[in-house]
Amino acid sequence: MIAGKAAGAGRGRGLRRAPGRRALFLNAAGLILLSALPKSSVGAAVASIVDIGSWDLPRLAFTMADADTGRGVTARDFRGKVALLYFGYTNCPDVCPMTLHNIALTLGRLGARRDGVRALFVTVDPVRDTLAVLRAYTHLFAPEIVGLRGTANQLAALASRYHIGYSVSPATASHPYEVNHSSGIYVFDARGQARLLIPSLDSGTSDIAGTAAALARLLALPARQAAMPHHLS
Amino acid sequence: MTPAESVARPHAMADFAVPAVIVALGAIVDWASAAHPAAMPLWLPYDFSWFAWLGTWLFLWWYVRGFYLLPPSERPHPWQLVSFMLGMLLIYAVLQTRYLYLAEHEFFLNRIQHIAMHHLGPFLVALGLARAPLRKGIPAPLARIVFSRPMQRLLAPIQQPIVASLLFVGLVAFWLVPAIHLRAMVSERLLWTMNWTMVLDGLLFWCLVLDPRPFPLARIGYGVRAAMAFAVIFPQIAIGARIVFSRHDIYPYYSICGRFFDSISPLYDQLVGGMVIWIPPAMMSAIAVLLVVNHLRLHEEKAPPPLDPRAARIAAMAANWTGRP
Repeated sequence: MIAGKAAGAGRGRGLRRAPGRRALFLNAAGLILLSALPKSSVGAAVASIVDIGSWDLPRLAFTMADADTGRGVTARDFRGKVALLYFGYTNCPDVCPMTLHNIALTLGRLGARRDGVRALFVTVDPVRDTLAVLRAYTHLFAPEIVGLRGTANQLAALASRYHIGYSVSPATASHPYEVNHSSGIYVFDARGQARLLIPSLDSGTSDIAGTAAALARLLALPARQAAMPHHLS
Repeated sequence: MTPAESVARPHAMADFAVPAVIVALGAIVDWASAAHPAAMPLWLPYDFSWFAWLGTWLFLWWYVRGFYLLPPSERPHPWQLVSFMLGMLLIYAVLQTRYLYLAEHEFFLNRIQHIAMHHLGPFLVALGLARAPLRKGIPAPLARIVFSRPMQRLLAPIQQPIVASLLFVGLVAFWLVPAIHLRAMVSERLLWTMNWTMVLDGLLFWCLVLDPRPFPLARIGYGVRAAMAFAVIFPQIAIGARIVFSRHDIYPYYSICGRFFDSISPLYDQLVGGMVIWIPPAMMSAIAVLLVVNHLRLHEEKAPPPLDPRAARIAAMAANWTGRP
């Protein structure tokens, strides 16, 4: 009974408030929030290099087979080098060869400092990309490009660590062999900390000079500083 | 209190056994997803998180436990139990199964994930009237914290209607700001923050709007609840339309990290994603308004009989055209 009475009062109060005015206010506020979608970045392509040093990405970690030596390697073997991480496959008609070519051009601009860089080319098509195929392929571009081949689990672990998508659909009667992969390149500093994200390096107009300059800056970091979080360095 | 306790006794074994099984299964799935990610079944977590695992299964267990501990007259309807379970399983499906991978690699699938974890999932959970079963089902020491006064006071400001509505659409808009979206999708920690702020906000909002009780028991009156459900339609339409009609790829993340469907172009993916923000939330709001009106109707029909002796005759006459008994 008491609840009923109180409820009655509440109902009256609820209805007395003018929903119309409130709705209007809320919509205005919503539109103000909406304008937070900045005009400038809409339509403008993403920057050619994104600084992700402060984005809290996990350190580079993997276990795979190195195509050059045929032996197992881990991310630790690449500590001390600036590492580029890229996913592709050797039968790729356009994106992968163009990207690796641009990486080779970038390395060329670094001169003697290029030895401080390793580009890790991880195949998402390990069935067709044997270690021999992978080795022959990466050597077409530059000696600093390392072909990596993992088991299904090793590949899935590394890809999901950096939210990389890939898929391989074997050929059927009506469909050719199809491989899907990402375009982005993650760049890690000498301590394995993710520092840069290059959205793509797959066109004739890619920013080679800018990429080389960014890599040079990472190479110039003293080892101690490279270990520090971005905001402190 | 004593009848409930006597009911609780036979379940004493389950009180320890079920959570122990949940933790043990979690440990197995945790190990398997790290050691054999490629071999995980589609319906198991492929990116294991204890928070998500325990959050899903413990709350499901506590609800079911509380449901059967309540005297039958106080239990929610079995349909409400089903609704709660469906909502929880939907949130589990889009946040923990392999669907998470799809949502990370196609914009429109990402938007469907957000609808499921911010709208439909919490909506179904709210319809499950979890309050009474959880109060009964959560172990007493934990329940004392969850339902404590300071906790309620902590929630009060964000359950204020204007704040709750602003938070509801504000979070949708915030995580869709292109620069923030890119960062959230790339950074594991921010992705986790985005997903769980959406889930928790969805739960808070829909539990507030879909509360069937009248004002002093619920935080706000029926009219304000309907107004809230209605008001959030328009900003979401505006955000959806803004994305549908943009002629450029606003969200480059999906190209950078790989799209799931090669045959869908980035712009088409974006257009469909915009429609997902535009249409289903508006439909859900419309359903919510109807449910609020229905709650008001049910409440009024339960109102105590009037004291006026002539009331019955007046009501009988009125029933000819109102249709109410």
